[in-house]
Amino acid sequence: MKRSKLITFGALSALVFSMLAAVVAPADAARDLKGSVCAQEGQVRTISGVTYTCERVNGNLQYAAGRKLSGTLNVLCTPQELWCVEMTKAFQAKTGITTKFIRLSSGEAVTRLVASKNNPEFDVWTGGPNDSHISGRIQGVLDPYKSPTRNMLKAQFKDADGFWTGIYMGALGFCSNTNELKRLGLKAPTSWNDLLNAKYKGNIMMAHPGTSGTAYTALWSQVLRLGSEDAAIDYMKDLNKNILSYTRSGAGPTGPLGRGEVATGLVFSHDCTAAILRGNPLVVSFPKEGTGFEIGGIALVKGARNADAAKAYIDFSLSAEAQNIGPAKAESFQILTNPNAKYDRRMVNLKKVTLLNYEAEAAGVAAVKLKARFDKEVALTSSAK
Amino acid sequence: MALKRSGTKYDIFTKIALVLVVAIVFFLIILPLLNILIYSTQPTGSAIITNAFSDVVIRQILWNTMKLGLTVAFLGTLLGFIMAYTQARVEFRGKKVLHIVNLVPIISPPFAFATAVIVLFGRSGIITRGIFDWRPTLYGYTGLVLVLTLSFFPIAYMNLLGMLRSLDPALDEAGSSLGASKWRIFRTVTLPLLIPGFAGSFLLLFIESIADLANPLIIGGNYTVLASRAYMAINGDYDIPMAAGYSFLLLLPALLVFLVQRYWAQRKSVVSVTGKPSGRPTVVTSRLARFFLLSVTFLLTSLIVLVYATVVLGAFVKIIGVENSFTLEHFRYLLGGFANAAVRATTFLALMATPLAGIFGMLIAWLVIRKVRRGSEALDFLGMLGIAVPGTVIGIGYAITYNDPVKIGGVTVFPQVAGGAAIFGGAIAIVMVYIIRSSPAGQRSGISLLQQIDPSIEEASASLGASGGRTFRLVTLPLISGALLSGLMYAFAHSMTTLSPIIFLVTPDISILTQKILAEADQGRYGNVFALCCMLIVLIMVIGGLINLLVRRFQVSTDRPLVTGR
Repeated sequence: MKRSKLITFGALSALVFSMLAAVVAPADAARDLKGSVCAQEGQVRTISGVTYTCERVNGNLQYAAGRKLSGTLNVLCTPQELWCVEMTKAFQAKTGITTKFIRLSSGEAVTRLVASKNNPEFDVWTGGPNDSHISGRIQGVLDPYKSPTRNMLKAQFKDADGFWTGIYMGALGFCSNTNELKRLGLKAPTSWNDLLNAKYKGNIMMAHPGTSGTAYTALWSQVLRLGSEDAAIDYMKDLNKNILSYTRSGAGPTGPLGRGEVATGLVFSHDCTAAILRGNPLVVSFPKEGTGFEIGGIALVKGARNADAAKAYIDFSLSAEAQNIGPAKAESFQILTNPNAKYDRRMVNLKKVTLLNYEAEAAGVAAVKLKARFDKEVALTSSAK
Repeated sequence: MALKRSGTKYDIFTKIALVLVVAIVFFLIILPLLNILIYSTQPTGSAIITNAFSDVVIRQILWNTMKLGLTVAFLGTLLGFIMAYTQARVEFRGKKVLHIVNLVPIISPPFAFATAVIVLFGRSGIITRGIFDWRPTLYGYTGLVLVLTLSFFPIAYMNLLGMLRSLDPALDEAGSSLGASKWRIFRTVTLPLLIPGFAGSFLLLFIESIADLANPLIIGGNYTVLASRAYMAINGDYDIPMAAGYSFLLLLPALLVFLVQRYWAQRKSVVSVTGKPSGRPTVVTSRLARFFLLSVTFLLTSLIVLVYATVVLGAFVKIIGVENSFTLEHFRYLLGGFANAAVRATTFLALMATPLAGIFGMLIAWLVIRKVRRGSEALDFLGMLGIAVPGTVIGIGYAITYNDPVKIGGVTVFPQVAGGAAIFGGAIAIVMVYIIRSSPAGQRSGISLLQQIDPSIEEASASLGASGGRTFRLVTLPLISGALLSGLMYAFAHSMTTLSPIIFLVTPDISILTQKILAEADQGRYGNVFALCCMLIVLIMVIGGLINLLVRRFQVSTDRPLVTGR
């Protein structure tokens, strides 16, 4: 046989072999991993288009039933845009599912979900204080889903019925402009009552509880701290005298704060931290009487068109790998709910902060009425002055 | 004087146009609005309406809205007139530049003005605090008036400039040959001729300012207006009926001003004899008048330049006024995947909507002024609904109407066009909003202009045997092509910068630039806000320039003065 013929023959047989292998191989790789041993609880893996979550069963780590994902996943995302970008990008890279999102604040999110109730346009709603998820449940726009990874989370981080699961936690704090404090001759506030000081007149900003989950957390914190809704409204009325403006979104005050339009704002401390890292002359402090906190929830949308992918996305969001994305890539320094997620020095040290006994369920149930009261008795009355 | 329209029956072109316009208006605005009104009859909605005057809070919101609308409409029209008059009748150097600067605010994205004004004139403003050590509070009525007037005066400017240029100088000449002083001519000839323009501008500015949502949200402070309250009702109280109630209240003043304007302008409308002016307009020579006009012009122009300089500068430094080191990080962040898709989608959809909106507005104007005998007021009003209804209400109306296919008796008469589950990922609903929100500007300038042009020109065409469509295309369109151009430019800029209805219609497939701006403003990242505004402005200028060139090409052949007379 001539050499050239030999090469041709070799090449041809290699081709035939590889084609055969291509036909046989996927069948081999697509073997079901369900029940096989895995390394880290909560970890999400995609093998040959099937996505598995590592769960703990009777003390052993093994893969839960896989999901063969297809189509696109539509995410409704409430935290800041950069976080949404990075999270969806990571999920898409991992599973190969086209993952799209839009960002809406929590109030807008509920409205959108209600408006598209009969024909859901989203599969999963991620982020935002969970009392808005509770509002969503009450409005009938969510479906329960219990992720295998839930078992890792503390009880406070999950809804017993599975309507929401916590992916992060944030503490409400005071965010103050150091230059403005100096000018006014004030120290960073350490008590809710500090904010009532007349020197703060027109020098405080917070979001409106109507649109912002952050601000509602602040309002509900007063209910918890002072014991009744009436007392909370009274406090807000006093505070209202010092408020320059209510912003739409929870982190909204950080812009004017950085510029020195106002001295102090009521925001989640991680939003203040992010603003400090961008170069704003701000400082975080907490009220000694105790402060409210949010648990950022993730929930499955009722009637989701791509429920499988949504469930896989929820599993993924609960994994340590996904939760580490926030501090590493998205300037997001919320406290993470997965115990295996990395602690970042820029997160709040909860040992140094007094937390109120905040129960999102009660807050969520009271929301609609209390917000209306705030609007009528506090915000609108000031505009009627 | 009222001119009789021909007594014959409508020709086929008019009939088709009329049916088409009514159908379009029905699906683009009436149907979503009907849904909203149905909601407003529910208890929380009707409570707002019935207690509008007895409830002190609602009454205050109503009054706040009216006060804001009237102030901005008055100041904006006045400023627009001064600028237009200076442009048309005062000789000075740098006119062209001035004209462009005056038009720039039209393409100001939401939040650009508000943020820049706070940076410049806020409590820690670069100018107020930096130079005068003064800490004015802009959050509230003052800031809103400042920002809204600056944003909207160009509408009046464009309208009035177009009219001033089409006034026949022969009228001035006649006045002066009869021995009248220039001041007297100004008072008794020029001003009365401009009345439809004043009324039209006032109406547009009033409606735009009471319907504006972005600015009250960011610098409204505790000055609550109906638009922001309706928004809160939807997003805070999850109460669409309540929002519908507030929207209903918002419709009333718009309706009222509209009717007053119609009645007033109708009565005083003066038709100039020719289609296009011939000869040179008289020039202001009085020292005092020149000094006054030029100093107002100079001040306003510098203010606009300053604001835009802030926007541009703010995009290239870390935190303007706080940390002024040069950086490209904002652009790097935005173009690193954050805004790319939004840039493409916004531009594409606005380009789809622009010609449709421009032609639609002109068509309505032509039908209203020339063709429809009975019910022209109603038609005019229908066409204007797009801006008379606040954007938030349109957005919600669309969301509740078009998230499902529209069915009458079980038969689908209109497909689902909104929401992520719709065809094209919900893009059609956004284009529909763009059209209905921006065609009224074209309609108004078309109407103002057509009121000035003698219908006998078109009648001549018809009596020479041209069909209605041919007359519209060959006679009317060229005559109003100036207005068409301004309508188109406005439509495009308006589409690109629309925010409030869009909030409820963006989907994961279609993200829109203004919504990205809102997201960044929410996070207090002014650098990114400014950078996004810069990108938006550049886009609008480049594409607007192309539209301008394109329309001008078609216009060339008609630039000859039309020889007419009676």
